[in-house]
Amino acid sequence: MRKVIKSEEGESLDIELGADLLRENERIAEENKKFLKEHGVIAIDVMGSVGSGKTTLIEKLVQRLKGKYKLAALDGDLNTTIDADLIGRHGVESIQINTGKECHLDANLVRKALKEMDLDDIDLIFIENVGNLICPSDFALGSSKRIVVISVTEGPYMVLKHPLTFARADLVVINKIDLAGAMGVDPLEKDAKKVKPEVKVVKTCLKAGKGVDEVIKALDLPSLLK
Amino acid sequence: MHEFSVTQQIVQTVLEEAKKHDAKRVTSVHLIIGKLTFLGIDQIKFSYRLLVKGTIMEHSKLLIEHMEPTVNCASCGYEGPAKYMNDPSFHFSIPTLTCPKCSAQVTIKLGRECTIKNIGIVTNGEDGSAPPNDKGG
Repeated sequence: MRKVIKSEEGESLDIELGADLLRENERIAEENKKFLKEHGVIAIDVMGSVGSGKTTLIEKLVQRLKGKYKLAALDGDLNTTIDADLIGRHGVESIQINTGKECHLDANLVRKALKEMDLDDIDLIFIENVGNLICPSDFALGSSKRIVVISVTEGPYMVLKHPLTFARADLVVINKIDLAGAMGVDPLEKDAKKVKPEVKVVKTCLKAGKGVDEVIKALDLPSLLK
Repeated sequence: MHEFSVTQQIVQTVLEEAKKHDAKRVTSVHLIIGKLTFLGIDQIKFSYRLLVKGTIMEHSKLLIEHMEPTVNCASCGYEGPAKYMNDPSFHFSIPTLTCPKCSAQVTIKLGRECTIKNIGIVTNGEDGSAPPNDKGG
């Protein structure tokens, strides 16, 4: 007769779970990346504070690259289609993701948006995150590279104040250098490299189109799209 | 940041697991929160106490292990604590991805978790009936 062990009333049990709750978003992000790759598409996501220059950066990149690659954009904001409209006027597919109250995009929202796109007709997607230098950092989206945009008008301590965000950046764009004045730009660049030695840093004045070619070079798109 | 919604997920996950084991109550929950996440321990504790009210987790003990970062260096093979930038005049100590041994860039092995390591529960009987020695026959 088979032995059966039953738990008795009032028995205490210790149950190992090992459930990592932040893994779920990572898992969906990895699925997004794989899904994009299957269609020969890569995504680049852009993070930064409100007004740092994320939309302008994507606009300038779209203008420079649309002759060479088939482009699209996903734009995250709590509401309105303002940023998606700004990018869409350059003649590329531009989808707005309205998060409602959520202060960051997550992999699930990006997955929903990707399902609305004809990926066979796209090479490269720019994903603009909600204006926020903190929360988006913990949520991978499925991109091949992450750009973090800061502007000199935010002051010289942005990297020191947000090291975890800069630890996740592949490329840091320091924008509005025309307004740097006495502060200079070097402290920000130095801090970015102290936090992450291999991070690429490009200084821009996006309004005037300065530095855009250097951003494109730093992204090394041919190696991502091969 | 987002501690309340993360804690909601924690409580839901624990309740689901406890139900699977036919728990009468949950006595303890052991979390590991990485220091490289944006999750604040005090806010998690606060949210937890609010969210467990009226559930079988209400009087459970919450233990939170705040996980220090462990980094790996592909250049020199270092594995261990991260290097910190310290500036006492600004009262900061900032983790970096610089190898403490050779200054190359490292990858993060530990420190980004939000893990429910284990839970302690007290169960009901197999079918909720009296223990065997009370049965007639």
